[in-house]
Amino acid sequence: MTGAKAINVNHQEGESSASPAIAGGVAVPQGRRTDEWSECLVLMAEKQDRAAFTRFFRHFAPLIKAFALTGSTLSANHADELVQEVMLKVWQKAGGFNPEKAAASTWVYTIARNCRTDMFRRLQKFDTPIAADDLSMEADEEEAFVQLHNRRAAERVKSLMRDLPPDQAQILGKVYMEGKSHSEAAAELDLPLGTVKSRVRLALQKLQVQLERK
Amino acid sequence: MAHHHPQPELLVEYSAGALAIGQAACVSAHLSYCAECRKTTEQLETVGSSLMERLQPEPVAEAVLESVLARLDDPAPLSYQSPAASDQLPGLLERIINGDFSELVWRRVTSALSISYLATGDREHEFALYRIAAGGSIPHHRHGGSEMTLVLEGGFSDSSGVYHPGDFVYREGSDSHAPTAIDDGECIVLAVLDAPLKFTQWRYRWMNPFLQLRAG
Repeated sequence: MTGAKAINVNHQEGESSASPAIAGGVAVPQGRRTDEWSECLVLMAEKQDRAAFTRFFRHFAPLIKAFALTGSTLSANHADELVQEVMLKVWQKAGGFNPEKAAASTWVYTIARNCRTDMFRRLQKFDTPIAADDLSMEADEEEAFVQLHNRRAAERVKSLMRDLPPDQAQILGKVYMEGKSHSEAAAELDLPLGTVKSRVRLALQKLQVQLERK
Repeated sequence: MAHHHPQPELLVEYSAGALAIGQAACVSAHLSYCAECRKTTEQLETVGSSLMERLQPEPVAEAVLESVLARLDDPAPLSYQSPAASDQLPGLLERIINGDFSELVWRRVTSALSISYLATGDREHEFALYRIAAGGSIPHHRHGGSEMTLVLEGGFSDSSGVYHPGDFVYREGSDSHAPTAIDDGECIVLAVLDAPLKFTQWRYRWMNPFLQLRAG
């Protein structure tokens, strides 16, 4: 993809149904996350609710399939297989989803990212004892105020994503949606690596991503 | 608490799943020491999810939904219950090392330095533990490529600083340096390289041919 082409800028996401409050000009939901997709996950975990799973599937499966096909060599069959793997994991791992900590969409993204990485490695007959899940952040219990702070920071990133300049969004699209390294993105876009890196840094500033300085 | 952290670009590639296995394992091990970088990574994962939500949805056939619904009662794989990490080491390394440091195969390189190569399946990166005796040094060396280092035990210093457990250093094509373990005890670091290290002092140079990259 060429970044902007496959990205539907006016998409209205499901997370925003929580009552918003204005902080620094950016809508931030208060208190417990009550959006539809988090509720679906909680229903799946607590009541094995298949209707909730089906609603969740209808929203996320087409996005996961798009994610599978973006900039990759996966066939449509593999993309459907990935959708099945991801959605099955969603059902099996729903009990581990903590609505206080993360947005449902981000939780699903990490599962899709890991399943896609594992599928690439499987298709390349990559022999490794390590699954992508092993490389994910290990879950830890943070205190409630830390969770709230982190969640607000994540919400802010999400809101600010809408205003990201196209040249920066394009590179983040290459990296996140296509799983390309900065050097691979630079080669494909025919840009110097330094330009790619500085656009990424500018994007992180615009998104107010909190960085620990060296 | 860690004082030396991965560059933002590395956390971006890590959170996008774009790092090679060996490098991703090293960054992931740093995260288990560092709440600040975990927080950054959570925010970066939000970048990924926002981009995914903006993709043009691809229609999924009803048969795919039906086939998943039919599999919902399948038992979940046991591997989802991740084993409790010990207080000593990040859980991932615990699994790769699979035992105590002393049970690993250590290759003695100099009187102060031994190396143990670990298998990750990463074809481009060597993933190894370096064990430096208290007060000992790794002879002056440089790297043809990139070097990722995470301190696991003890500490070391070089011309750029002092590093303690959890500290992370990433360098590309660095100048010759000679890390020295601090005097208190031996130092164990995880090093992920994409090119072999090359000793620059004449008395160790004869070893260079034996230090070929051991990826995999």
